[in-house]
Amino acid sequence: MAIQFEFISADAILGRSSEERINLIIKSVRKDKILVLEEPLTPAEEKLLIMKTMTAITRDFPGIEVCSLGSTPDDIKSRIIKLLGGKTSGLTVVGPSNLVHQVKRDPNKLRFVAGK
Amino acid sequence: MNTGKSTLANRISMDWTGEAMSKVSEIPHETREVIKKERVSIRVDGKELTINLLDMPGIATKVDYHDFVDHGMSKGDAQQRAKEATKGIIEAIKWLEHVDIALVVMDACLDPYTQVNITILGNLEARNIPVIIVANKIDKKSAKPERIRAAFPQHHVVEISALKGDNVNKLYEEIVKRAR
Repeated sequence: MAIQFEFISADAILGRSSEERINLIIKSVRKDKILVLEEPLTPAEEKLLIMKTMTAITRDFPGIEVCSLGSTPDDIKSRIIKLLGGKTSGLTVVGPSNLVHQVKRDPNKLRFVAGK
Repeated sequence: MNTGKSTLANRISMDWTGEAMSKVSEIPHETREVIKKERVSIRVDGKELTINLLDMPGIATKVDYHDFVDHGMSKGDAQQRAKEATKGIIEAIKWLEHVDIALVVMDACLDPYTQVNITILGNLEARNIPVIIVANKIDKKSAKPERIRAAFPQHHVVEISALKGDNVNKLYEEIVKRAR
């Protein structure tokens, strides 16, 4: 089975609330897609993602694997950059846990091993 | 999962109240709701700190009932446990914002650089909640607590064995020192 990757640019989710971003992620991941977000999730958004994932878990959807590099802090500077339409550096990768078997990371590198 | 949170909660509770507070098991997600022990008084060097001790469910990004089946549970029981575990994780995340000090327990034998650890610490940092990272299971030969120190240099790390009681006095000193 082919694995689908979807790369989402920062512009594509610009102006969307955290709630909307998370809903978009869950919807895509449940369709067996692995998402690469140009704009990394903040810790607060990651927290929301885990909570929403927990409510979405079924026998066929056991959850997600997620990994961020250079995650943006929820500080005022980052919020202002986002409000002005700017991009903060980093990325987030999210995939369904029944597809992503292993996530290995160090501060500057991440590796996803995926397959059916 | 199974980093030894409940073993540590029991250790603290036993040391200062004489009673255990949580059930411990090898099966993941044994703790599926927040367990509270109120008014636990810790005394270190003449200073006393009275706390409400919370043993939280482990936070995870996935809960697969097959994992419980692999531990010998029936399919029905495993599915029920998975359902309870997801609720417990949500409850634990909600509580993250309402603690005065957090002991983030990590298994010193495993890679500490996981997204869940980073997410938990990131959220605690954003709210300026004091954090002590507990590098647990140092009694095991494969323990490498230095990996935890290297991964999270901005945080104070205390190396302990909750099971054997090694170095827990040092942890009590840190709790009393850092609680706000």
